[in-house]
Amino acid sequence: MEVFLQLVLTGVMVGSIYALVALGWVLIYKCSGVLNMAMGELTLIGAYVSLAFYEWGFPFPLALLATLLIGAILGILTERLVLRRLIGEPVLTVIMVTVGLSFFFRGIIELLWGTDLRVFHPPVFPFEPIRLGPVVIGQVYLWSFIAAMALLGALVAFFRYTRWGLAMQAMADDEMAAIALGISPKFVYAAAWAIAFMAAGVGGSLLGNINGVNIAVGYLGLLVLPAVVLGGLNSIPGAILGGITIGVLQNLAGGYLDRLTPGGVKEIFPFVVMTLVLLVKPYGLFGWVRIERV
Amino acid sequence: MRMRLPSGVFYTTYRQDQALWPTTFVKLRMWGLLVFLFVIFPQIASSYWLSLASLVGYTILSAMGVQLLIGYTGQVTLGHAAFIAAGAYTVAVLVLQYHVPYPLAFLAALVVAGLWSVLFGLPSARVKGFYLIMTTMAAQFITVDFIITQYVSRIGERGHSFSLPPGTLSIGPWVLRSDRDIYYLMITLVTLSVLAMTNLARTRIGRAWMAIRDHDIAAEALGINIVAYKLLAFFMAGVFGGMAGAFWVASLFAVSPEHFAWSWSLWLVGVVLIGGLGSNYGTIFGSLFMTLVMEALRNGVAMLAPIVPALEASFLFVKEAAFGLAIVLFLLYEPNGLAYRWWQIKNYIHLWPFSYE
Repeated sequence: MEVFLQLVLTGVMVGSIYALVALGWVLIYKCSGVLNMAMGELTLIGAYVSLAFYEWGFPFPLALLATLLIGAILGILTERLVLRRLIGEPVLTVIMVTVGLSFFFRGIIELLWGTDLRVFHPPVFPFEPIRLGPVVIGQVYLWSFIAAMALLGALVAFFRYTRWGLAMQAMADDEMAAIALGISPKFVYAAAWAIAFMAAGVGGSLLGNINGVNIAVGYLGLLVLPAVVLGGLNSIPGAILGGITIGVLQNLAGGYLDRLTPGGVKEIFPFVVMTLVLLVKPYGLFGWVRIERV
Repeated sequence: MRMRLPSGVFYTTYRQDQALWPTTFVKLRMWGLLVFLFVIFPQIASSYWLSLASLVGYTILSAMGVQLLIGYTGQVTLGHAAFIAAGAYTVAVLVLQYHVPYPLAFLAALVVAGLWSVLFGLPSARVKGFYLIMTTMAAQFITVDFIITQYVSRIGERGHSFSLPPGTLSIGPWVLRSDRDIYYLMITLVTLSVLAMTNLARTRIGRAWMAIRDHDIAAEALGINIVAYKLLAFFMAGVFGGMAGAFWVASLFAVSPEHFAWSWSLWLVGVVLIGGLGSNYGTIFGSLFMTLVMEALRNGVAMLAPIVPALEASFLFVKEAAFGLAIVLFLLYEPNGLAYRWWQIKNYIHLWPFSYE
C-alpha cells in the first residue's frame, strides 16, 4: 500500500509537469488548429536554456524567468516565420512542418550543447526527502509540483479574467465571430505559440531538474500527446487531468509491470494507454465529438 | 488506334489511355533506363557509388509503403519504421535461428510485416486524421522500443544487434557477398515494387484508395467498403515495408533496433513530401534528393573538418537540422514536391515554344 501511495504521489507530481506542457499544446490547437508535433523539442529548448542561464550564475527563479522570456520570443518568431504562412493548409502539411521544426530544433540543440547528460550543478533543490506520513517524496518533485501548479493556476486565471485571455477563448470558440468582433487572429496565434513555448520551457527545466538534461527530456515532452488524446484535444481541463493521469499511470506501470518484463514498460505504457483510448473513446474525456457531412 | 497529331497524342480506347508505356518514345526511354540501371551502371560504378545507389534503393523501398498510405490512401503514418523492422527481424530470426533459406524468409517477412501493419491499421476503422497518426506513432514505440528491443533482440543471446556476415544470405546458388550483388538485389526489388505500385494505382484497388483519400464519406456513398480498402492499404504498405526490411538485412549484414528509430519513420514521410505525394516519381525523386543531398552535405562537412574540427563529430546534428529545414522550406515554397516541378519542366519542353500561359 505504501508503495502504491508513493507511486501515485510521485506520478501526480511528474504528471503536473506533463499537464503544464499539455496545456500549451491544447492552447495552440484550440486557437489555431495546429497539431504540434514539436512539443518535445520545445521542452528540450526550455531545459537547455534554463540550464545555460543557471550555469552562468543566475539564481534558479531568475533562470526560469529568462527561460520564459526566451520562450516567448522563440514562440512569436516560430509563429511569424513559419506557421502563419500555413493557415488553411491541409492537416498533413501543418503536422509535417512541425515535424520539420522538431528536427531542426533538435539538430541545433545538439550542435550547441552536445548529447551528454548534464545536471543542474549545484543542485537547485536540496536532496533531503520530505516525509508525508508513510510516503517519502524528493524535494525536487514537491517543488516542481508547486511550480507547475502555480503556473497552471496563473494560466487558467489568465484565460478567465484578462482581456487577452478572453480574446483567445473567443478565437478558439468561433473564429469568424471573434474576427468580426475585432480580435486580431495574428495576435492570438502569436500569443498561443508564445504561451506554449513558455509552458513547455518551464516544464522542460523542471523535468531537467528531476532527471538531468539530455535528449531524453524531449521524449518526455512527447508524452503530452497521450495526455491530450486522453483528455480530449480541445479541452484545457482535459489536458490537465490527462497530464496528471498519464504521469500516475506511467509511474504505476514502472512500479508494477516492469518486474514482469525485461524492462522498458515505463517508456511505452503511455502510448499503450493512448491506443486503448483511441479504440474505445477516440475523442477523449472532454473533447468535442466531430460530426461530418459530405 | 493511336493518333499522333502535331498538337499531341490522342487515344481512341481506354486500354491505350491506361497503357504503361503509351508511346514508342516512352517505351524506348524506359528500356534505355532499365538497360542503364541493370547493365551499364553496375559495370562502370565504383563500390562507393554502388553502395550509395543501394542506400537510395533502400530509401525508395521504405518510402513506397509511406507513399501508398499517405499519397494514395490519405492515411498518415508516422510509424512506418515499425513495419520495416518487423520485416527485417523476421528475416534475421528465421535465417539465424532456424536456418531458413533467404528467399523463404523474405516471403515470410512480407507476410509478417503486412499483418503487423494491419493490426495497427485496425483503429483506422474508427478514427482518422490526427487520431490515426497517434496510433501509428504508438505502433512505432510499442514495436521497436518495446517488443523488438526487449524481446526479439534477446532471441538466441546474440547481444544487442544481430550480425549476418557477408555470405550468410544466398538466393539459390547466388551468394550475396559484394556491393554489386546487393545492388542487383536492390534494383530488382525496386523495379518490381515500382511496377506493382503503378499497377495497384491504376486498377480498381488504387482508384478506391484515391477515392477514400479525396473524400472518405463520399467514397462510402459510392459503395466502396472503406474499412476493407483501408486495411488492404495498410497490408500492402506493410508488405512494402517488410520488403525494405528484408533488403536492409541483406545490405548491411546486420540489424539493430536503432536502425528503425522514430526519426526514420519521420524521415520517410519527409522524403515522400519532398518528392511529391501521389506518384512513384515522388517516391523516387524524394529518395534520390534526400540521400544525395545528405551525402553531399557529409562530403562538405568532411572537407570543412580540417578547418573546423568540431564539425566532423557533429555531422549527425547538422544532418538533422538540415533535414528539418528542408521539410519546412519545401512545404512553404514547393508544397507539391519535386515530382510536380518535374512535370512542369516536362510540359514546358513538350509545348515549347508555344507553352500555355
